[in-house]
Amino acid sequence: MKAASIEFQNVRKLYGDVAAVNGVSFTIAPRTLVTLLGPSGCGKTTILRMIAGLELPTAGSIRIGDADVTRVSASERDVSMVFQSYALFPHMTVLDNVSYGLTVSGQPKAQAHEKAHGALKTVGLTGLDQRLPSELSGGQQQRVAVARALVLEPSVLLFDEPLSNLDARLRRQMREEIRDLQQRLGLTVVYVTHDQSEALAVSDRIIVMDKAVIAQEGAPRELYAQPKDAFVAGFMGEANRVPATLTRRDATLGDVALGPLTLTLPHRGLADGPIEVAIRPEAIELTAGGPSPLSGVVRKAAYLGATMEYTVETAIGPLFVIDGGVDRPLTVGTAVAVAFTPRGVIVIPPR
Amino acid sequence: MNRGLLSAFLVCAAGAAAGPAWAQLNMYCSSPNTAWCQGMAIGFEKLSGVKVAVVQKATGEMLAQVKAEKENPKGDVWWAGPADSYLQAAEEGLLETYASPNVVQLHDWARRVTELSGNRVAGVYGGILTLGYNTELQEKKKLPVPKCWKDLLDPALKGEVMLGNPNSSGTAYLMLASLVQVFGEDEAFRFMKALNANVASYARSGIGPMTAVKRGEIYLGSSVLHGVINEIVAGFPVRPILPCEGVGYEVGSMAIIKGARNLDHAKQFYDWALTLEAQKIGLDVKEYAIPTNRSVPLPPMVPNLTEVKVINYDFAKYGSSETRKRLLERWEKEINAAAK
Amino acid sequence: MSDYRRAIAFWIAVGAGGFLLVPWYALQDSVFALGWLAHFTEKEAAPALLQAIRHDHPWLMPLGLFVAAGGALLAPLPRRFRSNALIALGGAGFVYCFAQGFAIGPRGWYFDTFAAAFPAFKGSQEGMGLGAMLVVTCFGMLFALGLAGRGYFKGDAFVAGSVVAVAVLVSVFTFFPVFKILISAVEDNNGAFSLAALPGRLFTQKVWGLGCVGGSTRCGVAWNTLILALLCAFCCTGLGLGFALIATRTDFKRKRLLRILTVLPIITPPFVIGLGLILIFGRSGVINQLLEWAFGLQPGRWIYGLQGVLLAQVFAFTPIAFLVLIGVVEGVSPGMEEAAQTLRADRWRVFADISLPLMRPGLANAFLISFIESIADFGNPILLGGNFGVLSTEIFFSVVGAQLDQGRAATLGILLLLFALAAFFAQRQVLGKKVYTSLAGKGDSGLPTQLPDNVRRLCYSIAVPWALLTLVIYAMAMVGGFVETWGRDYTFTLKHYAKAFSIEFSSHGIIWAGAAWNSFWTTIKLSAIAAPLTAALGILSAWLLTRQKFAGQGAFEFGTMLSFAIPGTVIGVSYILAFNVPPIEVTGTGIVLILCFIFRNMPVGVRAGMAAMTQIDKSLDEASITLGARGFTTLRRVILPLLKPAIVAALVYSFVRAVTTVSAVIFLVSAEYEMATTYIINRVINGDYGVAIAYCSVLIVLMLAAIWLIQKLVGERKLGRRAIGVPAVATLGRNAA
Repeated sequence: MKAASIEFQNVRKLYGDVAAVNGVSFTIAPRTLVTLLGPSGCGKTTILRMIAGLELPTAGSIRIGDADVTRVSASERDVSMVFQSYALFPHMTVLDNVSYGLTVSGQPKAQAHEKAHGALKTVGLTGLDQRLPSELSGGQQQRVAVARALVLEPSVLLFDEPLSNLDARLRRQMREEIRDLQQRLGLTVVYVTHDQSEALAVSDRIIVMDKAVIAQEGAPRELYAQPKDAFVAGFMGEANRVPATLTRRDATLGDVALGPLTLTLPHRGLADGPIEVAIRPEAIELTAGGPSPLSGVVRKAAYLGATMEYTVETAIGPLFVIDGGVDRPLTVGTAVAVAFTPRGVIVIPPR
Repeated sequence: MNRGLLSAFLVCAAGAAAGPAWAQLNMYCSSPNTAWCQGMAIGFEKLSGVKVAVVQKATGEMLAQVKAEKENPKGDVWWAGPADSYLQAAEEGLLETYASPNVVQLHDWARRVTELSGNRVAGVYGGILTLGYNTELQEKKKLPVPKCWKDLLDPALKGEVMLGNPNSSGTAYLMLASLVQVFGEDEAFRFMKALNANVASYARSGIGPMTAVKRGEIYLGSSVLHGVINEIVAGFPVRPILPCEGVGYEVGSMAIIKGARNLDHAKQFYDWALTLEAQKIGLDVKEYAIPTNRSVPLPPMVPNLTEVKVINYDFAKYGSSETRKRLLERWEKEINAAAK
Repeated sequence: MSDYRRAIAFWIAVGAGGFLLVPWYALQDSVFALGWLAHFTEKEAAPALLQAIRHDHPWLMPLGLFVAAGGALLAPLPRRFRSNALIALGGAGFVYCFAQGFAIGPRGWYFDTFAAAFPAFKGSQEGMGLGAMLVVTCFGMLFALGLAGRGYFKGDAFVAGSVVAVAVLVSVFTFFPVFKILISAVEDNNGAFSLAALPGRLFTQKVWGLGCVGGSTRCGVAWNTLILALLCAFCCTGLGLGFALIATRTDFKRKRLLRILTVLPIITPPFVIGLGLILIFGRSGVINQLLEWAFGLQPGRWIYGLQGVLLAQVFAFTPIAFLVLIGVVEGVSPGMEEAAQTLRADRWRVFADISLPLMRPGLANAFLISFIESIADFGNPILLGGNFGVLSTEIFFSVVGAQLDQGRAATLGILLLLFALAAFFAQRQVLGKKVYTSLAGKGDSGLPTQLPDNVRRLCYSIAVPWALLTLVIYAMAMVGGFVETWGRDYTFTLKHYAKAFSIEFSSHGIIWAGAAWNSFWTTIKLSAIAAPLTAALGILSAWLLTRQKFAGQGAFEFGTMLSFAIPGTVIGVSYILAFNVPPIEVTGTGIVLILCFIFRNMPVGVRAGMAAMTQIDKSLDEASITLGARGFTTLRRVILPLLKPAIVAALVYSFVRAVTTVSAVIFLVSAEYEMATTYIINRVINGDYGVAIAYCSVLIVLMLAAIWLIQKLVGERKLGRRAIGVPAVATLGRNAA
């Protein structure tokens, strides 16, 4: 495989007056899996389609590998794509679907079929060659779609929300297989999803998009632990946002006044004055009874099997809490002491 | 990439290729009798091996078409229908001059159109203006049988008469011109206007009224004598009336269209259509017009023409486009516009 | 050489061939007969180069230079420069080619201003031929390649070429004729501009007179047209609703029969219903004879006139209203009616308060469609109208009658076009503003409410006799072909068939002696050529409209759909006006008929294609493209196989329409190319009902055979076990609506 890098420079895409992508630049290294993450309408799919050549940018340039492909049509790019709906040709058998890309580029049928068999084997799907797509299960269709994209040995492989049509269990299995395949074959993969846990699970890097621009880019851990702003914090998992006041202490740390509490946290370059903190639900510790600087009352409690979810009324507002202590559940109305583990509390700019 | 467009283009071109593969003659036929048109076409085809394509239209409409195609004629020979339209066409330079050696075989009354037109038109049959009525309806409804033109004004005939529209029908124009020659123009128009009260409708084609009469759709209609005889022979309960004030006659004509693409075949057809052999075809298909070739025997059932008052029809005047246009416009304004 | 440059080279070669090798001007007989090869250097048949050098047509020379300059662009050049040059060159050549054609005619300059400016100029030329066609195609495609090179149409040359080709074709064969008819309305009959001619033609007693109100004379044809159309729309909508309610809301046992009844009119040649009515209700018709025999009543001629035309139209168009309404009635969600029932509404209240209001936009749609059909109808008014004239027949007699007033025909044509467009846009307004189906896609598992008893009885009492009458009319019409003379002599005979379709033998070989053979073969040939072209152009346009995005798409859609709103009579007149003089001179040929069929029926192909394509996931195309297939390959290997039902529908529809249409072709037939319908109408006018009916029945058999053949040829699409087979004819019916 000849995995290639992808480079966007100041790419804009306008639909009429509306910017779907507004001045986006990034580089994707070869043989990495990068996820485009964001809510619907943020421009992530448009970026993917511009990589594929299904849309041409209004301004800016796109390079794949060494070549400038800004104006090159989709069929001439060395890029394959797995579609959200799989887009399997319903009138062709599995084998014809997978060998389609080879035959349209002029390869002899026998050779194309041979390669298609190889690709189907790679995705773990054998013996279903002569079936029509409608005769396959969702997971099998997904594999055919992947095989069809893989068989062309593209320098870039694109996935557009590939798991959204699968049920929860199959979704985890498939995402592991995709990740496995990417690492095994050393592919450059760009993956679009709106599901942060999926993104966290499979990515080398994540690009979070919001309102046609990049909100933040980084490794999964970095994005979860160090979200740049309220949007990223909220999108990368649940977060309780609470207003607070920052007083800098030194180059890295500051004092954050949070209701009756004062925490010492990295100030991340924010100026003194009003700020917000994002508190991860799993970073809140509840203790029944006991006196504490911050106390609250449990208003709602839900049992989810592996965890408990609570809503706790406190002086700094209602807090959403996820607690692993399933065996000792708190009941509604219980007075609790509230404490935070510092790693789950992040300062972010105020709204 | 462009192969798709190319193949579409080639199919298109193949469509354009649909042209004549062998010798052809385009015949415009203004006889309402399909069998006669077709009989002439096949007769000529058998004789010459030339394929004949026939288009059938009322005389007035055909004249309009020939006029419209003046720049780029699509027809070769025009056959049948009253001489007036042919003379008008000749006057407007729409017809080819051709002196057929066979014209000498014709009756004198038929040769007049050839002389008038300067060898552009030849007569192929004769027809006398006639009224026809349905005898069954007459008995059933006890309707009067008119003897003269003026008898048509009888209020008992209200809604029982069907005439033709002279704008599109040659026979109807023959009636208009005959009435003008019998009564004088103003008197004729007064008569026709009064007749409006009895006329159910003006048919587009000359055969329209007889078609309705023979089926009992209407009691009485205008026609030519052989039109009525044809229906009698076909077994319909109809009978002709030759009005006492006098009737005009038509010379069913023929001409070669100027600029005909198949001029040689057209001339061959022209010569042949005047022969005994061609003029007998009418009888074969039960068409009882009077042949113009002297050696063809008169059809049976043609009444004794000496008892009929046939006017000396002025082909020169009523075939001229000036007179024709004036009469037609007056008819349109005074008669048709006032019709119910 | 890249594919792109290969494409340039190909079209340059086409252009060069057109300029150097084949006759530039149209020949009298077909260019494919190859007779011109022997006269290659002569004035009639010479290619453009020889015409320019030897035959006094020097203004053709620049065209050759344009083609040659295109050849120079094959040299290695920067992509952007070459693209721009192709756009400039293709555009300029295209414009020049048409400009010289429209400027210089068979008698020199077409425009007096030029004639005054260049008095010395003596050039003249005939209509464009194969050479001109190739060169124009070359320029258009070079222009398209330039656009693709600049990155328009996502850089896909096939898409660019298709858009340019369809746009040019639609402009020349839809917009140009309409433009021509607009111009003719303000020209006198010698071709001079005269605004004064317009009111004289438009505001006459014959068009707008109100004589019928007082009862003294006739009303104007415009009023007649409107009154007839309103009555027809009203009756068709009512009957259509009745049938639709019976089909969906009762346990009526003969629903299949209803379906057949709706398909019948589609394959019925015009005049069958009218003839059937005459045979039943005419003065010598069955009913009248019966009444006369039983009660001694005097039969009247009431069938000729407004009543007769109305009756025939209602028989003909009720099935269309039914097809529109059944979709709407089925679309009213049983859930809503069940909800109303749980809210204590009885059957009548459910029907009156819920079902009927939900159907209201559908009723409006059915009403407008019947209205449009009625004003465009030609066959029934000419057969049964008597003295009752409508616009379409008046236009016809203005052109073919001895009046020969094309300007008047054009003016009345515009009036008719305005009526049609007004109704058409009203329909789109009604459809556009309201969502009239309450189908949610899933979960509509409830049972439709049965009709209230009184409504059901009303529906049955009107619809059932009507349906039976329809069957009787068809039966009568078919029997009429086998009896000697209807109304007089009911002896069985085959003579009508023999008259139309007999065969004789002579020393020259087979003679197709039957009078109908010529028009029969012409009809088959032209329809068979037109149908695939219509379907191809329609589906291609639909693909471009649904799957591509480009500037001017709205105008493109309007252009491909425009001819749908133009009544056939208007198309016929406009084609005569536009194509009987050079540069595009095709009247009197088979080509003009084919073109007329294609551009008249194309909108249905477009609609069928678009409807089918919106049901095909767009990502299928994109998947194919990302797998390396270009636009054309994607269309051929992915889209077309999935569109088979739509292709069958488009093919069947365009074939059937080509066989049955009468209003447009009646202006365009010639001795050599006469169509079945025009032959039939002449037989009908002359009272040869037997032959006319015999011919009609042969046509019905022909069309059934063609439908069967098309379905065999195109084949079925296989999609595995989930595939739902949609019979082509059912789809067709819906499209006709």
